[in-house]
Amino acid sequence: MINKVLELLKEEKACQRISLPPGIKAKTSGFSLWYGSTKALKDINIEIKENKVTAIIGPSGCGKSTLLRCFNRMNDTIVSVRTEGNIWLDGYDIYDDVTDCVDIRRKVGMVFQKPNPFPFSIANNIYYGCQVNDMDVEKDEVVERCLKQAALWEEVKDRLSENALSLSGGQQQRLCIARALAIEPEVILMDEPCSALDPIATAKIEDLIHELKKDYTVVIVTHNMQQAARVSDYTAYMYLGELIEFGKTKQIFEKPREENTEKYITGRFG
Amino acid sequence: MSGRKLIALWLFVVSVVVALMGFWFMATRASMDYWVMAGSLILISITCYLSGVHHYLTTKNRHGRYIILYGSVVLMVAGLSIYIPDVLDLRPWEIYTRIPSDFFFSFFMLIIGILSSYVSFRPFHNFTKEGAQSGAYYIIHLSIIFTLFPLFLIMFNIITRGMGGITWEFLTEDIVSMGEKGGVYPAILGTLAMISLTAIIVLPLGVGTAIYLAEYARKGLAVRVIRTAVNILQGTPSIVHGLFGYAFFVLILFNGQKCLLAGALTLAILTLPIVTRSAEEALNAVPGELRDASLALGATKWQTIKKVVIPPSMPGILTGTVLGIGRAAGETAPIMFTAVYFSGTGTPSGLLRPIMALPYHLLSLYRLVGYRDVEPQAWATALLLLIIVLGINLSAIIVREKYRQRF
Ligand SMILES: Nc1ncnc2c1ncn2[C@@H]1O[C@H](COP(=O)(O)OP(=O)(O)O)[C@@H](O)[C@H]1O
Ligand SMILES: [Mg+2]
Repeated sequence: MINKVLELLKEEKACQRISLPPGIKAKTSGFSLWYGSTKALKDINIEIKENKVTAIIGPSGCGKSTLLRCFNRMNDTIVSVRTEGNIWLDGYDIYDDVTDCVDIRRKVGMVFQKPNPFPFSIANNIYYGCQVNDMDVEKDEVVERCLKQAALWEEVKDRLSENALSLSGGQQQRLCIARALAIEPEVILMDEPCSALDPIATAKIEDLIHELKKDYTVVIVTHNMQQAARVSDYTAYMYLGELIEFGKTKQIFEKPREENTEKYITGRFG
Repeated sequence: MSGRKLIALWLFVVSVVVALMGFWFMATRASMDYWVMAGSLILISITCYLSGVHHYLTTKNRHGRYIILYGSVVLMVAGLSIYIPDVLDLRPWEIYTRIPSDFFFSFFMLIIGILSSYVSFRPFHNFTKEGAQSGAYYIIHLSIIFTLFPLFLIMFNIITRGMGGITWEFLTEDIVSMGEKGGVYPAILGTLAMISLTAIIVLPLGVGTAIYLAEYARKGLAVRVIRTAVNILQGTPSIVHGLFGYAFFVLILFNGQKCLLAGALTLAILTLPIVTRSAEEALNAVPGELRDASLALGATKWQTIKKVVIPPSMPGILTGTVLGIGRAAGETAPIMFTAVYFSGTGTPSGLLRPIMALPYHLLSLYRLVGYRDVEPQAWATALLLLIIVLGINLSAIIVREKYRQRF
């Protein structure tokens, strides 16, 4: 009897599901977001392809970060935020009432604009995600795997117990990427990951993104159009909270369909 | 050029005002003692000012500035000297006079002296903006001195007068005949027991409140109510805490029995705002990016708070707690109705038993001064209390440094 009730409850609470076409990792449909009374995202429809790099470009304040943060519900931390529409990840609705943010964030890792390592040791920075998610892994193995994946292992292997804040900015950002990899996500969101870095560190991160797309789906926000052209397979151009154009990077940069996109890409932007 | 004229005008006004004050002062005080002293000081400063003005207006060299500075310092010293007999016992040297015996007068001279010396910094740098800067630095340094000076005097006073009384017997023996003989051992133990218990009670309460305010509460009615309550608690006189403790803890909770626990609870309420505030500040100082980083890794809010937010704010939280405890250690009013009886109470013998505490012992000794020979014991008790409070603060610094090295 009780079991039946529990089952019923479970059924009712189950997340809404749809099946996404093959090759599509995530998809928004009719998604809008308000900060208080200002509408920051207007009816966004975008598809994120699996194992590809999708770049989001656009003038500052157009809502790139806001959109990115919707994919792991980081906007939930802001009190005034209200959303409408759906975002599907592997067919599950991220914004369903019964969806647990914590589960989403385990599947969707994030790298922030400013490197933000914890004031712990390098190794503990990486292990943190495994710890909080009760993952059954060997600490040394995870640390080595992630640091190697983030191309940081050679530089720090002798100083794993040193405070992460002693690393340079570029190293810190790669550490943050390594940290995001530790929880074995499927999607990695990057919000202008190179904006605080010098050209050499930037080049390293761009190489890294190329490596990452073999195993992960990457969404990267950048204000640097050359960077978008270099690293991405697909590009989304946003303007004033709207998704103006979305397509293959080559197409967006070589023959954009919208006049607004062309203006922005050619730098003739008012 | 206009700066130079402005200063000359200022100096002129100052000398006129000071002169008028001097005359008024002499006219209202009959005693020879006063007006010889005050009059000569005023004359010195006026002379200095006038010759400074003269230098400014007539010569190109800037030596006048030293004279002005000197005049200003004399004025300030004269202004401060009213307090000399309060802090230093000059009777052995047969000096009984308070030089400008009038508070208003002293205050006025002090302000004028400070302003004049500030102004005189301008010509030091030939009326450039550097002059204004060094003037500002001078005022800043002066305020540091004015802050440290009373502290230094109090410490000096208590240490010199209390040192002789602190002996091994004083620290280890029972209080005999209301403190006239014996030591203060029970009071030391009582104070230590009470502040430890207070810390144990207040730390979770204060940190919990701070975590709620800083991490969970949205800016709504609840936050405003809690914050207002904390502020009111902070502004409440400690005697009110004491009476509340008596009315609530002693009478209702403990059947009229004054006890260690009632005192510690009262002190916990007294220190709660201090702990809450500093803990909240420490939590707020942790950058939001670290919280985001943790949440983005799939941590829950509580995991984030526990592992990312609290560790780096621990030094701040502990410092605040220790400051609060330091305050609690010296309070008399909250414990006199709730925890202490009289000097013969003895060493602490249980949570529900009364105790003796140093600040209350000091108060009872003070009441006896004049009837019995207890003044040396009172000074020694005061010194002991000072040492305990300073020791608590020192331990806070040590803990903080230890933590700082770890992060
Ligand atoms: N926490 C917030 N509260 C209110 N408005 C915000 C907040 N964050 C961003 N916005 C607003 O939303 C719009 C989009 O911001 P954002 O996504 O950060 O732009 P981008 O990353 O493209 O520069 C901007 O107009 C910005 O002012
Ligand atoms: Mg942004």
